[in-house]
Amino acid sequence: MARLLSLLTSVLAIGIGIVTLIGLLSGVGIFAGTTNLFLQLTMITVAVTILIGILNLFGVHTRRILKRQRGWVYSIVLLASALVVIILRLLGADDANMALLEGVQVSIESAFAGLLLFALVYGAYRLMRQRVTWTGTLFTLVLIIILLGALPFAEAGAVVQVRAWLLAVPVSAGARGILLGIALATVVTGIRVLIGQERSYRE
Amino acid sequence: MDSTIQVLTTVIIVFALAITVLATQVARRRRDSIPLRVVPAYEAIPILVGAAIEADRPVMVSFGSAGLGGSSTLLALASAELFYQVARRAAIGVTSPVLTVSDPSALPLGYGTLRRAYESRGRIERLRENSVRWYPSGPRSLAFAAALMTMMGDDRIAGGILFGSYGVELALVLDASARRRLPSIAASDQLEGQAVAWVLAEQSLIGEEMFVAGAYLGDSATQFGSTIALDTLRWALILALITASVLVLQQPVIEAINQFLGGG
Repeated sequence: MARLLSLLTSVLAIGIGIVTLIGLLSGVGIFAGTTNLFLQLTMITVAVTILIGILNLFGVHTRRILKRQRGWVYSIVLLASALVVIILRLLGADDANMALLEGVQVSIESAFAGLLLFALVYGAYRLMRQRVTWTGTLFTLVLIIILLGALPFAEAGAVVQVRAWLLAVPVSAGARGILLGIALATVVTGIRVLIGQERSYRE
Repeated sequence: MDSTIQVLTTVIIVFALAITVLATQVARRRRDSIPLRVVPAYEAIPILVGAAIEADRPVMVSFGSAGLGGSSTLLALASAELFYQVARRAAIGVTSPVLTVSDPSALPLGYGTLRRAYESRGRIERLRENSVRWYPSGPRSLAFAAALMTMMGDDRIAGGILFGSYGVELALVLDASARRRLPSIAASDQLEGQAVAWVLAEQSLIGEEMFVAGAYLGDSATQFGSTIALDTLRWALILALITASVLVLQQPVIEAINQFLGGG
């Protein structure tokens, strides 16, 4: 019975996937209408997962508090904050909600964004300290040229030109190469899903 | 969609389909005779999981903002395959791995993957209910990064595998990991995240390497076939790019040579 159910769900998933692909490629006709319906159903299902997320959040942190696990005080703060936001939303106090968002979350995230610079610079330093390879050396050299080239000094004309060339040619080519690789891998993974080779179909 | 793009997309999909089917058949018959190139990050994962089992501490796997239903759906599936391989290895230990996601649509995927991994080892009773966790992220995922940073200490994490969609916020997590002297393996589909991973993580995966976890860590012939197909398609793309470049540069180069030789 379990195998039959698995087979049915696999056939259904593969069938919907192929119809959606044809609909997206053709863009017209009966397939396009069906594709739109499937996409809408997907969006609704994805929206429902937010409820699962909230249940997960409350479940994980309630358990942490009850078991007095390390950091349980932070879990109390988290649950209390979540409850306050939900209650404010239910009461229709959108202004208070926005004030909380702007005053607390955005401020804290901005502070974190400020820390990013130090994490990155320290990371580059650590890269050279731990493993002096030719790629690491090249990385540091390019990093210095890019930083120097961004400085507003008229004397640094040559550095500015080198920086512009680096960004336009090797950096751009490398970035496109990586993105092309990801795109190819995405196509192959998609095909694996469409022809039923994905692990979730088999187990 | 423009008709040219429609035709091109169809050609690419049909070509990739043919290569994938063919490569899977080849992989089923002659798997041992085709070696995979060495990817250090995949070699480090079993060592990391083994060390975590010995220390009785959990491995943290994170999908970042990869989730189902959007442009990162296939990345989420690739991340789930890696998580399956990690969880399957970790299932022989006492402590189950911890999966963190910031997209709630990845939660059911994570639960299902973890359950299948433990079932495959016959140790479903060992599964901890709070092993899959959702940390809601703000607009820049910095809240998610902050959650991972604190989790490393609170849950006594043995090491982190950050495998999914991340931007520069990955730097904060990897920096915290390095300060705690925890091993880290990172990969992202975003360029900023990849750059940060390369600099700050102990091991990193670049580009399409993220999508071949099943072939490197598992024993499935179909996964192996996909890797061969991917390599074939990559070489086909390289050849196409070189051919296009030669065709574009052919005329100006001939003109330049003629001019040099005094013909023009």
